[in-house]
Amino acid sequence: MTMAAPVTRKVRERRETRQVLYVRLAVIFAFVAIWEFLSRSGWFFADIIPSLVSIAQALFRLLVNPAFWANLQVTLLEAAAALCIGTIAGVVVGILLGANRFLGAAFEPYLYYFSPTPRIILFPIMIMWFGVGLASKIALGALASFFAVALSTAAGMRQIDKVIIRVGRSFRATPWQMATKIYLPAMRIPVLTGIRLGLGNALITVLLAETKLSNQGLGYMVNTIYQRFDIPTLYALLIIVFIIAGACNAVLGYVARRAR
Amino acid sequence: MRIAAVAERRAPLTATRWFPLTVGALTIVAVGVIFEVLLRIGVLNRYIIPLPSEVLAAFERIVAEEGVIERTGTSAFEVLSAGFACIAVGVPLGVLLYRFNILRRALEDWVAALAAAPIVLAYPLFMVLFGRGSMTVIVIAFAYGLAPIVLKTVEGLSETRSVLVNVGKSLNLSEAQMFWKILFPSAIPSIFTGIRLGWTFCVIAVIGVEFLVNLGGLGQLINDLAERYDMPGTYASIGFVIGISMIFFIILEWVEKWLQPAR
Amino acid sequence: MGSVQTATRPGASLDADKPVLIIDDVYKTFGDAEEAVTAVDHVSFNVKQGEFVAVIGPSGCGKSTLFNIIGGMLGEYGGDVRIDGERIAGPHPAVGMVFQEESTFPWRSVIDNVAFPLELRGVAKSERYDRARHFIGMVGLDGFEKRYPSQLSGGMKQRVSIARTLVSNPRILLMDEPFAALDEQTRLLLGDKITQIQQELKQTTLLITHNLTEAVQLSDRIVVMTYRPGKVKRIADIDLARPRTSDVVGSDAFGRHVADIWNDLREEASRGMQESEQVARADRRRG
Repeated sequence: MTMAAPVTRKVRERRETRQVLYVRLAVIFAFVAIWEFLSRSGWFFADIIPSLVSIAQALFRLLVNPAFWANLQVTLLEAAAALCIGTIAGVVVGILLGANRFLGAAFEPYLYYFSPTPRIILFPIMIMWFGVGLASKIALGALASFFAVALSTAAGMRQIDKVIIRVGRSFRATPWQMATKIYLPAMRIPVLTGIRLGLGNALITVLLAETKLSNQGLGYMVNTIYQRFDIPTLYALLIIVFIIAGACNAVLGYVARRAR
Repeated sequence: MRIAAVAERRAPLTATRWFPLTVGALTIVAVGVIFEVLLRIGVLNRYIIPLPSEVLAAFERIVAEEGVIERTGTSAFEVLSAGFACIAVGVPLGVLLYRFNILRRALEDWVAALAAAPIVLAYPLFMVLFGRGSMTVIVIAFAYGLAPIVLKTVEGLSETRSVLVNVGKSLNLSEAQMFWKILFPSAIPSIFTGIRLGWTFCVIAVIGVEFLVNLGGLGQLINDLAERYDMPGTYASIGFVIGISMIFFIILEWVEKWLQPAR
Repeated sequence: MGSVQTATRPGASLDADKPVLIIDDVYKTFGDAEEAVTAVDHVSFNVKQGEFVAVIGPSGCGKSTLFNIIGGMLGEYGGDVRIDGERIAGPHPAVGMVFQEESTFPWRSVIDNVAFPLELRGVAKSERYDRARHFIGMVGLDGFEKRYPSQLSGGMKQRVSIARTLVSNPRILLMDEPFAALDEQTRLLLGDKITQIQQELKQTTLLITHNLTEAVQLSDRIVVMTYRPGKVKRIADIDLARPRTSDVVGSDAFGRHVADIWNDLREEASRGMQESEQVARADRRRG
């Protein structure tokens, strides 16, 4: 009895994994089939659904185009700068709000309710304050990532095992030592989660701001490609952006998991 | 109980929930006053930052002259259309994924990944398909709000306490009965959390697309005012939109909390 | 290794009877007017150089409050707690605290945990690792320097906490039921370790505990506290021979001491039980 049971379970698991694979392949296949069908059928206004081959070709052309890499660099630079600023500000504010119950009760709700609003509309203000160059997009992106990091950090502070804080106090750690040697390590997982969310926010915000007003970056590229009505390249660019967004998310997810 | 005995004696004002919130609000107001003063005496540049008092005055103006009420109606219509479409499609999809475990294991990660994708970037495609109007906005918002509802529906159904499922089994309920009388009611709080998240994304998407592509509603209003360099008006309209979004979000949270005891 | 100071603790060569810690008429009340609870009610006793003193009492006798006061965790209190003449008004560098809950930093290895107090003081890495290794050896965790707390048992984690406190060279080691979460056998063996360390370092120690056998096994004197409001009921001398091991637990003298103190303790413990029963009955009526 006990000998047979583990064997069938492993067999079942392997079968399920295979089934999952089949389903995914089936979905992909169905998607591709429907896509190609629609593309060649002429039902849709020409080229809105270009053939996958043309998209693939556009993808290659894009990847060898130096303009693409230049724009990619600009976007990544903006997102990285935004994330850095937003993270530092978010961690500092998060620690303050989490450590002091009154400050937390006074200000955190405002942060919390301000966070899910369409903050992109603050862009005109950023343009007024920082000009039409990279700075305004970085500022907007920093704002976007700030909320995620600050709220995660504040919540993380409250989850720290209280005895750890008492250990630090019993050894008379200075506030800086408390922050760097106790708070931050103790809440590395919530903070990393916040940074992950912040990265997503920063990247998307920067991209969207670029589509609104910019002469550089991938968002700007979306505009120029659309103006040329080069739909296959548009798809190609979107695919790349989605992959980048997904990859960043996955990398940070991996880092978060490894932080135990 | 001992706790009740302590509560009978009125808690000092400083211990209530509203006191810190008021302090926070007053701090924000104080910042506004400081800005007003700094701007009036010329330390800060008036072309970049309008006087807070002018911004406040502009609220009335934009309501009267810019058809803010109308535009709010347009945007609200778009949000609710997208929102209800998300529920109508998302919940059944979630049920489907729950019902067929294989589908769930195969596709749940993909749905989650979709939720993180910058769909708005594909706005040109949507515009070609759906025109330069509300429809595009609604479709994009629908795409944004769908994923959380699907995911939370699946989660809610699968987290039904097993003892309740066993009660159903012991009563020999049919599959349909089991679903409607046990699984679905138990999943409602979770589903509503998904609706809250999804509708929040819908709001952000609607206003965002209106703003980015100038497709009407409140988002476009902000653009119009910014292009006219009407700074007080721009600030006022931005504040108005953020304010309504916050209120909308708070209402969604209240309803969600109200549903929680059902679990 | 030569830089490690163990036998020469400040003041060790001076008058051995001079008190290191003076608890002078200490009292602490929580809550205001109507709901005031006096946790500690005018408690006085001393701890002399090199002594091992245990404070024992039933749950609710205020001993944890006393621990927090001496450790400087509670800002205000009535009366005086003086260490080497200085009044305690916050965490004092001469007081080393070991907490009841598991308190190792999960993200640091054992040696980084133990070296932590020295790191705070800016001691160079090689020197603080040397000192840390010395105390890691002393608590019997040689070879575990690079391990992480998640890989250690509860008893081992508490040993890390103790080593971490010792490395900061405190005048008095203050422990709050450090073995409460451990099983009986581990307790007895760790008790041995503590006795060894204390005798080797001539470390002045104050142990808060509710465990009677542990108190008698380890200490030179036991302060018995009453149930809330906590007062000193009695201070008993434990004249069991030193050096001591856990073998003493089976001896007649040990049994006599335990019985003797249990007499006093039982009264307080049953008062505590009665009061909680009354509260529970009242709650049921009201609630």
